[in-house]
Amino acid sequence: MRWKLPKLVPRSAPIILLVLTLAAVSGFAAVSHLVSRYNLNQQARGRRLYAQGLADVATKRYDDAIAAFRAALTCDPTNPQYELTLARTLRDSNDPRRLDEAESYLLALWQRAPQDAAVNLALARVAARRGSIEDATRYFHNAMYGVWASDPDANRNRARIELIEFLLKRNARAPADSELIALAASLPASPAAHLQAAHLFEQAQDYAGALAQCEVVLRLDPGNAAALAGAGETAYRFGDYVLAQRYLRMAANANPEDSVSRQLLESTDLILRANPFHSHISDAERNRRIDAALAQAEVRLTRCAQQAHVDLNSTANPPASPLPGLQARWLLAKPDLKLLRSPAETDLPDAIMDVVFQIEQQTAATCGPPQTLDLALLLISRKRETATQ
Amino acid sequence: MSNRAPIVNPSSSSSTQTVARVRASRRLFSKLDGVFNEEVFFLILCVFIGIFSGLAVVCFRLAIDWTHLALLGPLPETHSWRLFAIPSLAGIVVAILVLHVFPGIRGSGVNQTKSALYIFNGFIPFRTAIGKFICAGLAIGSGQSLGPEDPSLQIGASIASALGRQLEISREKLRLMAPVGAAAGLAAAFNAPISAVLFVIEEVIGRWSAGILGSVVLSAVASVVIVRSFLGSEPLFRIPITAFKRPSELLAYAVLGIVGGLASVAFAKAVGYLRPILKGLPRWTQYFQPALAGLLIGLIAFLGFPQIMGAGYGSMDEAMHGQYEWKVLAILAVLKIIATTFSFVSGTPGGMFAPTLFIGAMLGGAVGDIERILFPQLTGSTGTYVLVGMGVLFAGFLRVPMTSVFMVLEVSGNYEIVVPVIVANTFSYLISRSLQPIPIFDMLTRQDGLILPSLEEDREETILRVEDAMLPVPDTILSAQDYVDANFHRVQDSADSTFLVRMHPSGWNIATREQLQRFYREGKGELTLASVLPVQSLPSLYPDLSLDSALRYVNDYSLIPVVNRADSRRLEGVVSRDSVFQKYGSERAIEVPGNA
Repeated sequence: MRWKLPKLVPRSAPIILLVLTLAAVSGFAAVSHLVSRYNLNQQARGRRLYAQGLADVATKRYDDAIAAFRAALTCDPTNPQYELTLARTLRDSNDPRRLDEAESYLLALWQRAPQDAAVNLALARVAARRGSIEDATRYFHNAMYGVWASDPDANRNRARIELIEFLLKRNARAPADSELIALAASLPASPAAHLQAAHLFEQAQDYAGALAQCEVVLRLDPGNAAALAGAGETAYRFGDYVLAQRYLRMAANANPEDSVSRQLLESTDLILRANPFHSHISDAERNRRIDAALAQAEVRLTRCAQQAHVDLNSTANPPASPLPGLQARWLLAKPDLKLLRSPAETDLPDAIMDVVFQIEQQTAATCGPPQTLDLALLLISRKRETATQ
Repeated sequence: MSNRAPIVNPSSSSSTQTVARVRASRRLFSKLDGVFNEEVFFLILCVFIGIFSGLAVVCFRLAIDWTHLALLGPLPETHSWRLFAIPSLAGIVVAILVLHVFPGIRGSGVNQTKSALYIFNGFIPFRTAIGKFICAGLAIGSGQSLGPEDPSLQIGASIASALGRQLEISREKLRLMAPVGAAAGLAAAFNAPISAVLFVIEEVIGRWSAGILGSVVLSAVASVVIVRSFLGSEPLFRIPITAFKRPSELLAYAVLGIVGGLASVAFAKAVGYLRPILKGLPRWTQYFQPALAGLLIGLIAFLGFPQIMGAGYGSMDEAMHGQYEWKVLAILAVLKIIATTFSFVSGTPGGMFAPTLFIGAMLGGAVGDIERILFPQLTGSTGTYVLVGMGVLFAGFLRVPMTSVFMVLEVSGNYEIVVPVIVANTFSYLISRSLQPIPIFDMLTRQDGLILPSLEEDREETILRVEDAMLPVPDTILSAQDYVDANFHRVQDSADSTFLVRMHPSGWNIATREQLQRFYREGKGELTLASVLPVQSLPSLYPDLSLDSALRYVNDYSLIPVVNRADSRRLEGVVSRDSVFQKYGSERAIEVPGNA
């Protein structure tokens, strides 16, 4: 196929270049038109495949979804939504080999838009899957301070809550505490949000923080049964049994079906009734409680020794068993009960209760968690220890 | 009745303005004409070649994508009848087109461009571009195991050649047009201008000069700019995080180089063995060869490996991100060698660049994974081994060591892996060279009955230098500052007939015994030799120059001084016509033992 342009114009360099420029511009315009038409078709095809992929994800057919998203991305390679969704699906497909690819897609997106909160959140989740606290924290923070397409405050709090849950799961208490403080300061005036925060504080064993969040909820919604139960339980864990009793009683009244609050209330009542160190009780009442506690301790010790096959009166017990020693201490403390009425013996209640607490703690360690009055005595001992510290 | 419009007499002022405008325009063009000498014009032309090639490659890629979507659908399907039917039917159509409409498009675009440069004075028919566009687009789009890079290269070369012929540029420039267009086409196809420039210089043109490099670079850059403006600047693959941490891991990459070298040899030998056999079969079988290749590929895809269809960039991307186990990677490498060999030897138009990268990627991933199973302390990711593997096959199979390194670097954009790439590529190249002395492109050319310069052989050829033919410094060297008497007496004890004369302050001349005797007889003994010798500038040579450079002078001068590069007055030796010819003669005797 030999072809030749007709020599319509003189072969002068400027004219040739002018003709070539015109040809290039025309070619560019023609190819632009072609490419834009092609891209429009591809984008339409991409949308169809994307919808198909979403349907596959909804039915947990991850392999099909990934294939559809890949094809959609081939059709529209610059669509960040497809890329992000493909990366999320690869991440969520429970195939560890796909985590690298998900990260690669997300890093590519991140390089193009490092401020995109959704991308940072997705990267944070990949890092969380890998168990990398440092990377996950960095990307979660990027997500919190990044740009959200809608509802930025709620999304930021959600990201922070996810970070806290991750940190708590990884036992990273110190950074979790910092995030909880920041979360508490940024929460909207919503009972649900504060209740969730209270739950996180409780998970982090920050009972004071949890109680404060429940009280915020009760200020917003005074009859909130969940908040009442939460406040009661938190106060109980915190060791403030008077407050716990108040909240738990209100919770049980507000929701009679709440068996947990009811059980805790019973336990709280028992603690308050058994505690010889409670203020506003008479000396006689204190002495009665000490007497009852010592008697209960003996019962607990005897039962535990039977359970552990230890003869409290024999010398042939295993040397490691502390129960005979406790029996001896109990026997020494028993006669002191008579001296309780003497005003000179001010240290005696503490000394007797110390024997009771040791018996309760040791039997709990040897024979498992106690019930009813023994449990109450154990909790009183723990509160007493905390107060002393 | 006349329909002619009445003749309007233009007003005299507008007529004057028009004439003035035309004259001004002519003056401008005549001035511009002076600005454009041939070199400048050629360089500007290279930019246009890049633009046109880029536009053509964009269309070519769209055509492949569109064909693939139309014939095979957007989603990969296994166990579908289309996997068999489409490549087979498309193969028959392609065979008919190749045999009846575009007979010149069989074979490698690289070799056709080299042929244009060395044999056909830069001529590549434009029909080739059209044929490659249609047939390669249909073949690759229907799933034949071939790549779009070689056809893109040839489309670029074809466009450049046609443009050069149209513009009637000089023969010397016209020869260069095809490689310039080839660089543009390849750069556009790979979205990698440096590798394309290096490939064309390394494999097609074979020599470096500022003019050649400038023209090739301009066209490659222009085409890449065009492609990126339409198709975006995203690389062919999403590159994972790659790193090279411990030097001891180079051993692992060396092993990859060795395995890659062996795979390259197997691939090249399979192509070299099967191609002449299939070409030698009766002509009617050629209608079915591409279809049978398509059927084989369809069968492989049907059995669960559709990744081998087409260029396979998507699968390379997945391999790079650890989506396949080492067994699957190894199987894919072997199957791709088989599929590409049959696609190529059946005469289906398409290139082997992408399949080479595919095989290398899969092999690299497989070797890397096995090595990491055996030695868990290795830190290189699968992606790193996949990338290095691509370079390994490029170096071993296509035998372009420089391009193979830059290809990986340019595609990955990561210079951390340059050392593993160089080490692995070197092993692969050396193994391939020792087990398969003839590179694949040269082998294909020779099978087609053409003898083109083998650039690898050129690179390896021993060059004769001036020092190889150099004679010792003569005992008698005359001085131009001395009198003729003194010089005449100095030559009396010498047996030579020609003497070097050291000029002042620098330079050399020659005096013969007869000349000195004549000057002496003519009573010029009291004159300096410089004043009586005819003025001539005797060239001097350096010992490291090619002996060919001495050939230019040996007929004109009986003795040529060889001087030191640092001090041109220091004589290292001399060469004469006899010494040069004797050296060439002895080399010829070594090359052809029968003559000894």
